[in-house]
Amino acid sequence: MATTPRLPKPGPTGTGPLADSLLAHQPALLESFLALYATLWGRGVVDHPTKEIVRIRSARITDCGY
Amino acid sequence: MSWLPPADGRTPLDRVFGHCPELYARYRDFAGRLWWSHPVDPILLELCRLRIAQLLCCDAELAVRYAPARVAGLDEAKIAALVTWPTHPAYSPRERACLGFAEQFVVGPRGISDDAVASVTTHLTAAEMVALTEALAVFDGFMRFRLLLGVGATPTGICDPRPDAGSAD
Repeated sequence: MATTPRLPKPGPTGTGPLADSLLAHQPALLESFLALYATLWGRGVVDHPTKEIVRIRSARITDCGY
Repeated sequence: MSWLPPADGRTPLDRVFGHCPELYARYRDFAGRLWWSHPVDPILLELCRLRIAQLLCCDAELAVRYAPARVAGLDEAKIAALVTWPTHPAYSPRERACLGFAEQFVVGPRGISDDAVASVTTHLTAAEMVALTEALAVFDGFMRFRLLLGVGATPTGICDPRPDAGSAD
């Protein structure tokens, strides 16, 4: 478990939802990831409550407080 | 063979992920950038991918090679020594640090120590570290996807993850 920040914050890269996150160290990957994630959440045949329950359960199993 | 009815497509992954074509297109874009935009050395990516496949016993991933790593010069002799990466002389300190990080990612990410992270950041920039960790997430996640849904290896044995390439898996 981290006891100190493991990577420096990225410089200003934009205004997107994760613009201040570590993912912004790779702007092209972040852009593509956001498109993938938006499609995962915004489209498809699985309803949103089910997706959210699965996400929370997965976070609990991996003990991910974020 | 997958227990899902096959969607249209040429490869086993096409025929499963093709059930969600828009999501599959986004995935291929992301994977293509990971491999071909060179946010991190493709040889490092390939070694980590194969090591994760060994840990998860994912035969479909073990059977294939990714084109960007082959282009970059990764040979089969080095891959054959992958199970002995901690001590084999073919592996550099940089590769060993990344392979240890990849193994810990799979078996317990909360157990990664500051020292283990520091051993990787000695060799990689912050941007490379982010790209490597994203790649590990893709490898680990989609190997589990393959195992759960029974997605076999692409018959050609060579994968090219670009969106406009013939085989993403």
